[in-house]
Amino acid sequence: MTYMHIGKDFTPPDVEAKVTGAARYAEDFKKDGMVFARLLTSPIPAGRVVSIDASAALAMPGVLGIFTADDLPEAKPPANPALAKEWVTYIGQPILAVAAESDFLAEEALSKIVVEYQRRPFVVDPLDTLVEGGPDPYPMGNTLIRNSGEAAAGTTASGTDVGRIKWSIDQVTAFRNGREPVGAQFGSEWEFGDLAAQFAACTTIIEEPFVTIGQPHHSLESRTGMAYWENGKCYFHGSLQSHTVGHAALAGMLEMDPANLVFINENTGGGFGSKIFPYPIMAVTGRFSRALNRPVQLRITRDEEFYIGSARSGMQGWIKIGLKDDGRVGAVDVAIINDAGSGGGGSGSSSAEHITIMFQPEAMRFRGLSLYTNTTPRGAQRGPGQNEMAAVLAPMMDKAANQAGLDRVAFRRTNAPRMDGKIGERQGGLSSSYMPEAIDKAAQMFNWEQKIAQPKQISATKVRGIGVGQGFHTAGANGYDGLIRIAPDGTIYLHTGVGNLGTYSYAGVVRASAEALQCNWDNCVVVHGNSELNLPHSTYQGGSNTIFTETRSSHVAAMDIIAKMKEIAVAEFGGAVEDYSIGGERVFLTSDNAKGMSFGEAAQKAIEMGGKYSGMEFPEDINATTKRSVQAMAGTGLIGVAKDLLPRSGAVPGMAIAFIEIELDTETGKFDILDYSAVAECGTVVHPQGLSQAMNGGGVWGFGMAQSERHVYDPQNGLPANVGLYQSKPPTYLDVPVNMNTAGMDMPDPQSPVGAKGIGEPAQGCAVAALMSAFSDALDGHLFNRTPVTADMIVNHIAQNGHNTGNLKTNTF
Amino acid sequence: MNPKLTRRRFIKGVIASSAAAASTSLWYSAIGADRPAGAVERLLSLNVNGQTRRVDVAPQETLAHTLRYKLGLTGTKLGCNRGECGACTVLADDVNIYACSTLTHEVSNKAVMTVEGLRAADGTLHPVQAAFVQELSPACGFCTSGQVMSAVALLKSNPRPTREEARQAMSGNLCRCGAYDHYLNGVMRASGQLS
Amino acid sequence: MSSHDVMPEMSLYQPVRVEDAIGIANQFADRGWLVGGGQDTYGWLKDRAKSADALIDLKGIESMRGVKETADGIEIGALVTLTEITKDPIIAQRYPLLAQAAGRVASPQIRNVGTIAGNVSQDVRCWYYRRGLNCYRAGGNLCYADTPEGMNREHAIFNASRCVAVTPSDTGPALVALEAQMVINNASGQRVVSAEEFFVGPNLDIQNTTVLRPGDILTAVRIPSKWANAQFYFEKVADRNAWDFALVSLSAVMRVNNGVIEDSRIVAGAVQATPRRLTEVEQAVRGKARNDSTADSIGDLASRTANPLNYNHFKMPLMDNLVKRALRGQA
Repeated sequence: MTYMHIGKDFTPPDVEAKVTGAARYAEDFKKDGMVFARLLTSPIPAGRVVSIDASAALAMPGVLGIFTADDLPEAKPPANPALAKEWVTYIGQPILAVAAESDFLAEEALSKIVVEYQRRPFVVDPLDTLVEGGPDPYPMGNTLIRNSGEAAAGTTASGTDVGRIKWSIDQVTAFRNGREPVGAQFGSEWEFGDLAAQFAACTTIIEEPFVTIGQPHHSLESRTGMAYWENGKCYFHGSLQSHTVGHAALAGMLEMDPANLVFINENTGGGFGSKIFPYPIMAVTGRFSRALNRPVQLRITRDEEFYIGSARSGMQGWIKIGLKDDGRVGAVDVAIINDAGSGGGGSGSSSAEHITIMFQPEAMRFRGLSLYTNTTPRGAQRGPGQNEMAAVLAPMMDKAANQAGLDRVAFRRTNAPRMDGKIGERQGGLSSSYMPEAIDKAAQMFNWEQKIAQPKQISATKVRGIGVGQGFHTAGANGYDGLIRIAPDGTIYLHTGVGNLGTYSYAGVVRASAEALQCNWDNCVVVHGNSELNLPHSTYQGGSNTIFTETRSSHVAAMDIIAKMKEIAVAEFGGAVEDYSIGGERVFLTSDNAKGMSFGEAAQKAIEMGGKYSGMEFPEDINATTKRSVQAMAGTGLIGVAKDLLPRSGAVPGMAIAFIEIELDTETGKFDILDYSAVAECGTVVHPQGLSQAMNGGGVWGFGMAQSERHVYDPQNGLPANVGLYQSKPPTYLDVPVNMNTAGMDMPDPQSPVGAKGIGEPAQGCAVAALMSAFSDALDGHLFNRTPVTADMIVNHIAQNGHNTGNLKTNTF
Repeated sequence: MNPKLTRRRFIKGVIASSAAAASTSLWYSAIGADRPAGAVERLLSLNVNGQTRRVDVAPQETLAHTLRYKLGLTGTKLGCNRGECGACTVLADDVNIYACSTLTHEVSNKAVMTVEGLRAADGTLHPVQAAFVQELSPACGFCTSGQVMSAVALLKSNPRPTREEARQAMSGNLCRCGAYDHYLNGVMRASGQLS
Repeated sequence: MSSHDVMPEMSLYQPVRVEDAIGIANQFADRGWLVGGGQDTYGWLKDRAKSADALIDLKGIESMRGVKETADGIEIGALVTLTEITKDPIIAQRYPLLAQAAGRVASPQIRNVGTIAGNVSQDVRCWYYRRGLNCYRAGGNLCYADTPEGMNREHAIFNASRCVAVTPSDTGPALVALEAQMVINNASGQRVVSAEEFFVGPNLDIQNTTVLRPGDILTAVRIPSKWANAQFYFEKVADRNAWDFALVSLSAVMRVNNGVIEDSRIVAGAVQATPRRLTEVEQAVRGKARNDSTADSIGDLASRTANPLNYNHFKMPLMDNLVKRALRGQA
């Protein structure tokens, strides 16, 4: 299909401000009378706040007050409290905030506050709380009963209850040593197909343990916020990935009418899943400001961003995989313990889901348990569950394929989802899948046949590793609103409540409106980032779902405005709406182009006609946020507004496949990436540069997850070793390939009006999987069964000294 | 002690008029103006973006803070405030440095250039800025100012770097979004090696 | 464990003569903090893990700048930045080992302001110590890393003495290999100590990594001509290839005549609190060809006496491997 805008590069409206420094992030805003707030955080991993003595701090001139959990509604464990009330569950947990006339004073005040704590036993390894007699991270237990509604939203939001699950020492020992924990209790289980029969039919069976280690998000912009109250309204400068979907939630946190909350967030310095919805500390910023009646900037330092900025859950697991003679995956049995940290959630079921779609097993069982530890709260991080499974699964699937005598790529293609592919425990359908074609395309880009035929040994100390990996994430939702206003001067205002998380999707999605309107992009203005600008109810932004979801709502809004323009034209020139067309930013009689009017004239007419045309009336089914926005703009132009009711069925899979060639130095454990080629199965490509950005950025995340990023906690005192950036080791320019080759399949998904699906998360999954696969290939099929694989592990493996090859541990070496 | 007893009334009396207390230059206001003999004077003339700015700077104040909070130049970002990420990168006499890990007094006799100072007088973007727009180099944009400044520093000393040289020169600037490839494309374009 | 971001109040001095700097340093004694590039200063102060009453910024002292030729080699001013070292033509020509080591420090921005004196004087990177825990090195009476459960992957495999931190300097081992001399000035005059003696381990002084004491200023580093234009090998292995500290680094200088190693100095970084000279290896290779078989003959000589902790055994093979590469002359 030939598009006017879709599939074409464009310059998103905010790029220039980013290169000139004019783009403002929450911390860049100042307000007269602004005061500076800082957090006091817990020095102990588990215990109770016995008392707080802030008298010396409050006596300091310039110190305005402190804010504690008593000033907030109570958060029921395990919901993460903004400030600890009684129970402290990790080092770095905020206890209180102090505000002063200067940042310097606020920090001085911190050191004058005396908090008395009572310690409790703590745990940094989930298996240490799982074993009978092991300490519980919370006084009331070690696991949660998940709230399925929130879980369905694609996040790992907290559940409602803390419970307790324990295994016997024998069961934990067996699990630690890589064996199935027979008879052990799990928190969730599902199964499809006849597992026993399918395993019996398999001719190749492998059984492996695995462990992945959590890692902090470390978004480069820490989650500093600034709020002030003026004339009954709260103005909040914050940092979220989503925009309008967070608005009502933030109003709820501040216990105020959403109509009086102005949320301003034009730019967001990274989120990666940690800023999908408002996070607890935002409540402190807004409420402290209200209490002090002063603008408050609550600055979050880099250390604090580590503590409260969320992190990926680690997992410890066991898997059994069976292949049949024909190369099909017959059965998979997987058990996963997730490290939920404090008040977070694991994503074991999502990990299992990755297997179901990528390898389409006939039968599968998943057993999972998410356990708290006294470490930082865990939440969604770029493909939570799926990507860490992609990482450990790739070399294991290589092993199975090699054992069965199958080419690793042919094996993946055989099992890849086709249009009739199935997903998850319910084995539901897919909106589309061109994964076999994507595998072919990537293999060709990479030159797989030729690459795999090369000699392994490059030199005396260098070996070649060739890897292949796949990534997946559900990439679509529906039911959100689209909103467009055309002004009498002909300017087309494309309103979106999508956040600006750095992917430019906020601009990409509304190009579906421009496409339907067949209008010049230069005459369009993207309206976003400030709730005072009258934004529609748009999707939450996580799980790669923006492009699919919001091209739909953009499209339906355009359809609505086009229908209205035709009705206006009918009112002016007669005939029926079917007789009219649009083009050249005019609506006209198809048979007589002269009979028509410009979009601007139609807008002027709409204002005269009123009613639904100018937003005086609007559909009942749109969200309250959208209604408010329409009401605020009523009478100022022609309004197109609609809820996305387009047909939807099945899961929307965003998928990617990557190939990688590395040169591994067997004396140092270091490696260079010689070639990285990846293909996105993301439906129609909306914005080629944006896709390249997503695929490359995801690749970098994958390399980091595979080689260097990890939590390290001291089990003796619960201290995290790597709060800072250099210790957390996100990849630098020199840790990624000099060039990366990426492409999109560009095959339309039938359920998006422009055929688009998201790709943010699979972009990481395929990269980490490919690199893990390459490590294994370089080392004669050795499985580390874990991520990351750091240089020391490779050196130890080659030296055969038996270190770093022990049992399953997350959060420690 | 019972926390319920000690936590109350932690907010001091609400200030009658917030306007009266309003000030944007309270950053270090609590620090005494007295200084030991021989120590630096607080008032200094700072050459920033070609202009001389008189500014009151505490001895231990970092350049990033002076720029952001006293001179209103918020294009310089604080990502880590520990010299580990590069978001605060500025030029001092054409050399790229971490403004978060430089005392303002250390650059009192240097020409400081921030991202806000790159545009030509007629508003034209600096070639690095223009190339970064064209290559869609920024993702979330938070590290971008620093990436721009490191690229500008590189091209001042090496106008036609190889991609490898560019990568080395940019390696003190983290991009958590992983937009390295696009930034390198931008550097190559800015140096006229990509069309 | 509250986190701070603003340095506490302190005064700042910017002397322009060494004598003045010494005077101020003496005045403040252990409450004064010498600043070169400041890259291992402000983090400590912001974190409030260390404190000072006065910062003494040495950068205005012209006499401590520049690379000069001397009768017996070169003299590098203490304030010469790491970037200047990587670009200096004399160093590049005669002592490329030092240029390579300097070029692998942290990041371009840090090398642009970080000085040679600062790089050799920086404090250890033990993460427990940096968190402000009251360990031996901080004046306390325990070590958190040297325990069965301590997270000690980056720590020492040699010469631990209560403290198991390692030297983080990339240039330190290169200077030891080059037999550099450190010029130290104080109120009583000038003394010159060898780089080898400049670095001190916890057995001698647990709270300092060098012989520098309050009132001392390292003003220059002299490199004798002895090893000019010798054969060199430098390699640093770190998790990340920028902004990271060595897991192990190796600096080697070799006098090779007709393919035979007549003399050598081989020094490892990040294996103990000071740069570690591998004298046994140096002796073993004397008179042997610089080639693969000599490299292979060394085996585990370098690491044989190591005392690894729970998570740093890898440093033994890694160190042995780097020694072999140095002897082979290639990676």
